Amino acid sequence: MKIGLFIPCYIDAFYPEAGIATLELLEKLGQDVEYPLDQTCCGQPMGNSGCNSDAAAAEALFVRNFAKYDKIVMPSGSCTHHVRDNFDAIPQTDEVRHVRENTYELVEFLHDILKVDAFPWAEFNHTVGLHNSCGTLRALRTASMSELGEKPFSKPMDLLSKVRGIRFVTPKRPDECCGFGGTFSVTEEAVSAKMGVDKVRDHYQAGADYIVSADSSCMMHQQGCAERAGVPIRFIHIAQILNGAAQ
Amino acid sequence: MNPARDEILQALRNNRPTPENHPLPPVRTLGDLDASRERFIASLKILGGDVLEPVEGETLDQAIARRHPDAKVICSNVPEARGTLPVEKVKTPQDAATIDVTVVRAPFGIAEMGSIFLSESQLPINSFAHLGQHIVVLLSPDSITANMHTAYQERPEFRSANYGVLMSGPSATADIQGVLIRGAQGVRSLSVWFA
Amino acid sequence: MSNKPVNHARAAEHFLEDAPHLQFHDERLWDMRQKRDAQMHILPEWQELREEASRIKEHTLSRLPEYLEQFEANAKKNGIHVHWARDGAEHNRIVGEILKAHNARNLIKSKSMVTEECDMRPYLAKQGVSVTETDLGERIQQLDDQLPSHIVVPAVHKLTSDVAKIFAKDYHTDPNIRDPHLLAEAQRQAARPVILHADAGMTGGNFVVAETGTFVVCTNEGNADLSATVPNLHIATIGIERLVPRMADLGVFIRLLSRSALGSPITQYTTHFRGPQKGGEMHVVLVDNGRSARLGMEDFWTSLKCIRCGACMNTCPVYRRSGGLSYGAVYSGPIGAIIDPTFNERKYSTLPYASTLNGSCTNVCPVKINIHEQLYKWRRVLVQHHEMPFVKREIMHMAGKLMGQPKLYRAAIKATEVSLGTMPRFVLYNWLNPWGKHRENPHPVKQTFNDWYRRNREKARPAAAPETKK
Ligand code: SF4
Repeated sequence: MKIGLFIPCYIDAFYPEAGIATLELLEKLGQDVEYPLDQTCCGQPMGNSGCNSDAAAAEALFVRNFAKYDKIVMPSGSCTHHVRDNFDAIPQTDEVRHVRENTYELVEFLHDILKVDAFPWAEFNHTVGLHNSCGTLRALRTASMSELGEKPFSKPMDLLSKVRGIRFVTPKRPDECCGFGGTFSVTEEAVSAKMGVDKVRDHYQAGADYIVSADSSCMMHQQGCAERAGVPIRFIHIAQILNGAAQ
Repeated sequence: MNPARDEILQALRNNRPTPENHPLPPVRTLGDLDASRERFIASLKILGGDVLEPVEGETLDQAIARRHPDAKVICSNVPEARGTLPVEKVKTPQDAATIDVTVVRAPFGIAEMGSIFLSESQLPINSFAHLGQHIVVLLSPDSITANMHTAYQERPEFRSANYGVLMSGPSATADIQGVLIRGAQGVRSLSVWFA
Repeated sequence: MSNKPVNHARAAEHFLEDAPHLQFHDERLWDMRQKRDAQMHILPEWQELREEASRIKEHTLSRLPEYLEQFEANAKKNGIHVHWARDGAEHNRIVGEILKAHNARNLIKSKSMVTEECDMRPYLAKQGVSVTETDLGERIQQLDDQLPSHIVVPAVHKLTSDVAKIFAKDYHTDPNIRDPHLLAEAQRQAARPVILHADAGMTGGNFVVAETGTFVVCTNEGNADLSATVPNLHIATIGIERLVPRMADLGVFIRLLSRSALGSPITQYTTHFRGPQKGGEMHVVLVDNGRSARLGMEDFWTSLKCIRCGACMNTCPVYRRSGGLSYGAVYSGPIGAIIDPTFNERKYSTLPYASTLNGSCTNVCPVKINIHEQLYKWRRVLVQHHEMPFVKREIMHMAGKLMGQPKLYRAAIKATEVSLGTMPRFVLYNWLNPWGKHRENPHPVKQTFNDWYRRNREKARPAAAPETKK
């Protein structure tokens, strides 16, 4: 199984350590991973704002980069959601379908495809609050959502609970959106920032030292809100913990 | 000829989704089918209603007087209670406005909701159920149906009454700062007397 | 009516400035959401009920003309006068004529979103009809001359002190009252004489049963029953999408409605009207006002399944933090954002963007409307119809182009320049300034992942494909 690694633009530019952790983790798990150097973006920002035709170039490039892989893995729920559910600015050829059907968010890939049962190298002596992005929660369904009253399950929790030393807290409104929402974060900046600060306070008041998430975009926003409001909480991508972050 | 009617119906015909793709699902009876008095009472209490329990040997009139000691005008539409105002005096909808306590019989109740049903067959005038300050409802424990599915499928009253109200506890509102207030515009209290 | 796009973001910013109101609003609606959850947990059949409700509604919409005709025939048989209104103006004219024929000058009414759609009160006022809302929340909004900010709890954005001030003006109560019980009592006392002397009563209709010619009204205050049983003239204004085929279908919907709305098992009053009361007269006005056109919109017709429970608003994190009035429309919140543009695409072009697309609304909706997917689709439609502001459109256009050209993209993002200052000026101005208003920017890094990979992995193995070589 040849894996193509997609690193979303904001991880590439602002959170390279999350990308590195994803790659190293997959390698530690014995996977054959390649990162096509000419990648840019999955097309989500354009698609989400309704400018779907403007997503075509990014989507076409994405397919050119990844069609040759058996599986495409990315440390981002929202990008996975875009590729899987909304990637239709370009004609749906066999190649495109192959890419869409074989794209995985990292947690799902580890949990459902590799079925990893241990991370012997991982230890994290902190209290963490898990933030499930809306993409992972309600589109990819990597965890149960409170709206449906379904039997609780959480793939990220399943993975994190295999890490030594880690402790969990649950905020009061675990499934509430943090307010990032892509372009929403700027077009509706006041509401977005309020949602963000409410979110980080909720985790902080629950006793979390860290917010951990499979989505760096949410955390980029939350971190900005936390720093401005002076909420002393740190942020880490789930890949970094699973890869044995030494923090 | 009604051009508005024709135009609306024509637009709906032109625009609707393919009917064959949307078959009507069969009627189903879901949920808890417990039709017990206990379930009815528990539900009634959730919605702010109450049971008027007789203390030994008490008549309905005495029980009402005990529950509503300040009531001056009590008007009964059931033979089990005499009240103070003969029901024949209530002729117009407005006549019910002076009543403190109205007494009626419900043909059935719904255990799931603690609801009682009233229609023009049980009321001298429809406003009787609403303009009085309090209402006492007689209900036979044998005429409790389990839930909303069984009620709508089994009770003929829904198909025969021109006016049929399911009352589930007294009138209520939470429109001012979310504070729940019982006795908003309609009756301030609803008590059920099993008989 | 002005066509200017509603500035939801600005109105929301304003709403956020008032901490006590904001906090109450958010917590109250969140509490309603939690009570809804509690009801859901009591019923193991919850998801089945939602599925049934959705299927019954979709079926009904696909056969709406037949069911409307069936309803009309049955209602007429029972002595109900049935009217049809293509739009708000026609509705208002019909209601005005009925009132005139009865020389009715005082109308009491219970809450009806359709009459808000039709902007009926000002029309009747001009005809010399005095209209009194009898729902407490709606009455507060009427006295304050505001639209309802929520379809179930119209004055949820107000605190007790606001209501005290409003009542003091109109009911001459003490403006310093802080006990909601006293204010509710003041409303009861003020409303009673109006109700007793009303010439006509008006209600909406939550459900309409085709097979029996019945319409159902759900309230907690009993004000619809007062409006319909005290005056001898009852007019009900009902949207044409409100139908269900069978009496038994009500079982599904009544079980879902109040649980979804307020988290109470049922509304205190669930009233079935099948014909006029003794000595009375009953009219039903069936209102289209854009609904038949909406039925033809492939991506949006299922919004007609809506039973107006407000659950999508209660759960919406954006609605809770911006308030219903910020939507500048009769319908606010998620459901408003997907139906308002059908009334006026330009004016409400901003509303589908007042969402993070988080999807909570879709999953609480008792009739399973895919609200957040419709929000997403509306954005596409609005862009196609040129309803997106020029600058935003241009930014997306540029970004889209850049994202298709890896070399240019890499040049733009070169590690040494990841500092945010290298972005084109107008991008900076339009995007990063708002970002930074209440938030810190992300921290610059020494090298991008791409650079790291080139240094640490590319050397170790041959390039994957020739075109990736420099
Ligand atoms: S869209 Fe769904 S959740 Fe929202 S008001 Fe309508 S029925 Fe309720």
